[in-house]
Amino acid sequence: MAAAAPPPPPTPTPTPPTTLPETGPVGNPIFARIRIANPSDVRPLHKLMYQLAVFERLPHLFSATESSLSSNLFNTPPFQSFTVFLLEVSPTPFPDAPVGAHPPITHVINLDLPIADPESQEFGSGGDAVVAGFVLFFPNYSTFLGKPGFYIEDLYVRDCYRRKGFGKMLLSAVAAQAVKMGYGRVEWCVLDWNVNAIKFYEEMGAQVLQEWRICRLTGDALQAYGN
Amino acid sequence: MAVTGPPSPQTPTPTPTITPQETAPIGNPIFARIRIANSSDVPHLHKLMYQHAASQRLTHIFSATESSLSATLFNSPPFQSFTVLLLEVSPTPFPDGPVGCHPPITRIVNLDLPIVDPESKEFGSGGEAVVVGFVLFFPNYGVFLGKPGFYIESLYTRECYRKKGFGKMLLSAVAAQAVKMGYGKLDWCVLGWNANAFGFYKKMGAQVFEELKMCRLTSDALQAYESFS
Repeated sequence: MAAAAPPPPPTPTPTPPTTLPETGPVGNPIFARIRIANPSDVRPLHKLMYQLAVFERLPHLFSATESSLSSNLFNTPPFQSFTVFLLEVSPTPFPDAPVGAHPPITHVINLDLPIADPESQEFGSGGDAVVAGFVLFFPNYSTFLGKPGFYIEDLYVRDCYRRKGFGKMLLSAVAAQAVKMGYGRVEWCVLDWNVNAIKFYEEMGAQVLQEWRICRLTGDALQAYGN
Repeated sequence: MAVTGPPSPQTPTPTPTITPQETAPIGNPIFARIRIANSSDVPHLHKLMYQHAASQRLTHIFSATESSLSATLFNSPPFQSFTVLLLEVSPTPFPDGPVGCHPPITRIVNLDLPIVDPESKEFGSGGEAVVVGFVLFFPNYGVFLGKPGFYIESLYTRECYRKKGFGKMLLSAVAAQAVKMGYGKLDWCVLGWNANAFGFYKKMGAQVFEELKMCRLTSDALQAYESFS
């Protein structure tokens, strides 16, 4: 998963002789919105998932298609099964969304410098907004706690948007949803060579469980149990 | 998770002068049935889950109650969410059940010696049958495959029933269901110090990912995110 660190606090600009509005933005503000993905987001989502595979040095294992995403990801109400939060960013505020059961989360981040995004056209999502990242998660279960939790399968932020707090924002959104639903845990995996990510997760309050190993039956080894 | 291996083959007894029935059982047969658990199984399930926590030296974090299990485990059709398969055994065959969309799996295991079960009363499940173990699993997602899989949260067999093939039977049942549903993978965790389990899983064809580590946000550290929105 991509590592993200919180941005350094902005330095306030000194007040010039003419009166400036007190609510004027400092530095370069960027507006972020986290919302539940829907079928029309499949194209950027598929691209992001491929970028993540490349980041994890596993593009040869990537065989998901837009069609397989469409058929698997949007069959149940949010949080009951596989759920995707999409992160969009924009230099201008997002319009107010219609009030629904799951309103989006919005934040403003003040940056020292504007972000140069070489893929802004490819990831455009309406107006000035671009898709910058996602998190895919689903309910898991703890027999010891006797209740569900969430498992984060993937968290990814595009390269030019890293180290600005967006990864933390996505993870926090899942954690907040878990608390809201009375769930017991949020879990995920990390590759042990990804020291940036491990530091990021520990700073967020996560424990890294050193004594567990993941096992997997897949491919032909799984098919052998077909009978 | 508890480790079990396949039973050793039987040596046939020499033919006595009386003609034996050709279908007479060899040694000590035990009849096994794997079926989907329902809410009436909760008391047994809760006991098994506690035993499982004890076997992993984790009773200090065990807080599940019968009531929390009842409230969380039976809200969806089988395999769509958290699903429990229960393993029962009996010295006599299980009666044929009504044919449903998920018929139980039945097997006969031939043992050298009968099993002495000190908890047979506590785990009695009707007639001579006893509850022996369970597996709890749920759908997960494979982003690279673009399709679901199953994740096994817990697999447990009571101590006197280990090393007889029952753990493998439970794991195989989940694997078979994954294949039947066209799923792409079956994942689970193992404690790094459980050398027996490693051997068992590798023999079954599983890969073990040495470089993947689990991260967990829980308790106060998780509650701290309540106000994020």
